[in-house]
Amino acid sequence: MTAQEVRLCGLLLQEHFGDVVEKVGTHLLRNGAQHLRAIVQETGTPMDLVKKSLCVLIQHGACAFSSGRKGPGSPVEYQASFERILRILRYPRYIYTAKTLYGDTGELIIEELLQRGHMTMSSTVKTVADRLTLNMEEGHSMEYSEVSNTFSKLVETHFLQRCPPVEVAGKAVSATPDPATTPGAPANNTTPSTPESFADCYKVPHVTLIGRGKRRNSSEDGEDQRNAKRAKEDPETHGDEGIYWQVNFERFHLHFRDQAIISAVANKLDQTSSEIVRTMLRMSEVTTPPIATCTQALSANEIFRSLPPNYNISRPILDQYLTLLVDDPMEFVGKSGDSGGGMYVVNLHRALANLARATLESVVQERFGSRSARIFRLLLRKRHLEQKQVEDFAMIPAKEAKDMLYTLLSENLVQLQEIPKTPDHAPSRTFYLYTVNQLPTARMLLQNCFKTVANLIERRLFETKESKRLLEKSQRIEAILASLQASGAEPEQLTEVEEMITPPEKQQLESLRHHINKLDSAENQVDETIFLLESYIKSTATATR
Amino acid sequence: VTEIRIYSFMIKELCQQFPQGITDQVIQNDMPHLEPQQRAMAINKLLSLGQLDLLRNSAGLLYRMKDTQTASKMKGSDNQEKLVYQIIEDAGNKGIWSREIRFKSNLPLTEINKILKNLESKKLIKAVKSVAASKKKVYMLYNLQPDRSVTGGAWYSDQDFESEFVEVLNQQCFKFLQSKAEAARDSKQSPMVQRNSSFATSHEVWKYICELGISKVDLSMDDIETILNTLIYDGKVEMTVIAAKEGTVGSVDGQMKLYRGVNAIIQPTGLVKVPCGLCPVFDDCHEGGEISPSNCIYMAEWLDF
Repeated sequence: MTAQEVRLCGLLLQEHFGDVVEKVGTHLLRNGAQHLRAIVQETGTPMDLVKKSLCVLIQHGACAFSSGRKGPGSPVEYQASFERILRILRYPRYIYTAKTLYGDTGELIIEELLQRGHMTMSSTVKTVADRLTLNMEEGHSMEYSEVSNTFSKLVETHFLQRCPPVEVAGKAVSATPDPATTPGAPANNTTPSTPESFADCYKVPHVTLIGRGKRRNSSEDGEDQRNAKRAKEDPETHGDEGIYWQVNFERFHLHFRDQAIISAVANKLDQTSSEIVRTMLRMSEVTTPPIATCTQALSANEIFRSLPPNYNISRPILDQYLTLLVDDPMEFVGKSGDSGGGMYVVNLHRALANLARATLESVVQERFGSRSARIFRLLLRKRHLEQKQVEDFAMIPAKEAKDMLYTLLSENLVQLQEIPKTPDHAPSRTFYLYTVNQLPTARMLLQNCFKTVANLIERRLFETKESKRLLEKSQRIEAILASLQASGAEPEQLTEVEEMITPPEKQQLESLRHHINKLDSAENQVDETIFLLESYIKSTATATR
Repeated sequence: VTEIRIYSFMIKELCQQFPQGITDQVIQNDMPHLEPQQRAMAINKLLSLGQLDLLRNSAGLLYRMKDTQTASKMKGSDNQEKLVYQIIEDAGNKGIWSREIRFKSNLPLTEINKILKNLESKKLIKAVKSVAASKKKVYMLYNLQPDRSVTGGAWYSDQDFESEFVEVLNQQCFKFLQSKAEAARDSKQSPMVQRNSSFATSHEVWKYICELGISKVDLSMDDIETILNTLIYDGKVEMTVIAAKEGTVGSVDGQMKLYRGVNAIIQPTGLVKVPCGLCPVFDDCHEGGEISPSNCIYMAEWLDF
């Protein structure tokens, strides 16, 4: 847990859950697994607040509990998961993907689940139907069955999964009441069970949900209150109590990875090749385990049959495209056999490594210039080179090449390897070779990305704080306007109120909004880099095991 | 004394008979009555006159007739100069550094310098500045062409690396390959044919550059290949090697190198779209310090953009 990671997680927790949760969360991140009393003592927050924060964290899957290390009688220990907290950064991308794949319904389902952490299917469907009905025209409302259909589709393609149930052991430990899972003592084994280890992970329960979304009008305020109360005491059961669902992040990540590979192929080769690769990846979506280095072998016959119908290319042309993909030096696709017209696989690990390498090269190019990028690529290709060789291959004058190499060395993007000729390591009799190690450099850049995102968030908070007075004023004016409009005021009164904000203030507000939008979108862009680098590092770790 | 002269003359005649050189044994066989001491004196006289070359081979000492032209050149010089000249001659067209001359001849530095100046003024040797270390001067015979490693070849003119020349060549080669790739893509033929026609052999590129006439120096195919390699390191070009029949134009040792322009596989990554990704003081920045996200001037400029 590096300092940058802890800082970033702290900022994310504070923005989404508040100060108390942030304090508890960062304490857990810094100090590893801890039991309740230790957390209370060391953070100095009262016991019930700590319990509530842990509730929130567990609800979102950011914290896990397990029995203590000191034996079966010791108190429960809680551990925060830094990876899960970082996913908060990627929520917009998940929601957008759901929107492109499953429309507005899918978008709202994912959004609700991300906000609540764990939910039952019935409550999700009801809430989403209500929200959709709100945006529809008068007199129309959303059928529950439609929403259920989309929900089932999301489960079928594994974008949603059931939360793993926690086994009830004999003793009931008075740890935090956990609404997400059936209350009880935690499992006795310390290994966390993955959601996939349960057989019913992707089974949609039989739910009796008949009805339509309810529209909430603002004139029915009083009725709303009564409705809300009634909803809480709603004894309606729909047959899926205790079955909670969560978003399957890994599946989204596989989708993003596939997207990155397809766009890389489209850039390098052409549209048709990328369509072929897209087909291959789609066919192996559910058959390939997430950590595989390459997909299952697909025969050319299968690929030909599964191509989208509007791409009518003939069989020999498809074979040519496949041969070209195999011959390409980037090695996106490989040939593993000749049966069935040729067996082809997509080399996932190789593709991720190429994408990570392109990311590193792009960072060097933007930061130091295209000639330094030339030296960097040269070193990546040739592994180890002497100073003189670097100058010769890159065709850069000696003085400038030396300067660039030393700059890269000081930024730790390039390393120096000494090979002594004599046992006394005399400098005049030693070879000094420059080299680039892709994996450690990728890790370093990943830490830089974390720091960058934390910087962006802090800047955003700072900008908001600076203009707090102005924002409050504009909010008050909007509230006054809304109440005036509701009580039927004349246009002159409205304009009078509107003019309480002076034009320079309006401009300031406008520029503030522009800044905040820019910072927000920048966070998403850096998150894309984070995703590529993280996938590469994870894939290398599993590939070399 | 006149005997010595006669003996010298006879030895000289022997040498002329055997242009590849004669040994002591041969002289002894020819003139058996000659005593070793007198023989030595005669040979020394010839050596000092510069008419005989003293060489050593595995069998022993060898005496050879000296080339009359060089003999006349060296007439005014003394032994030391001759020695230095010989050392420089041996170095061929790579030249030799003055300190190495000192090692080989065991003469003191001042003597060496005097001799070198003398020889230079007689236009027998010349000094060439080495491109690797600009202060170092190597000496070689006057009429020799300095070797590539000393002058740097086609890319150096007067010891200066010609960066603009290299840049221009770089861009021209890239444009040629790019236009070829585009033409292939627009031709809308089957993909295999498209890809093959987007390739260009190194020979084709070489011909194109020669015809462009932008180079004052003659460039060889190897030179063009080094330029194309820099394009590969720029990520703009990729290369494959194919087997070619001996005798096809441009093939070297039965293979040909093909080059083709390519596009980058990703857009510039997200990290560099943000000021922090390019910030020179990234490591010094932290909240509450002199440089922090709240007061970052780069961010302020970028936000107002």
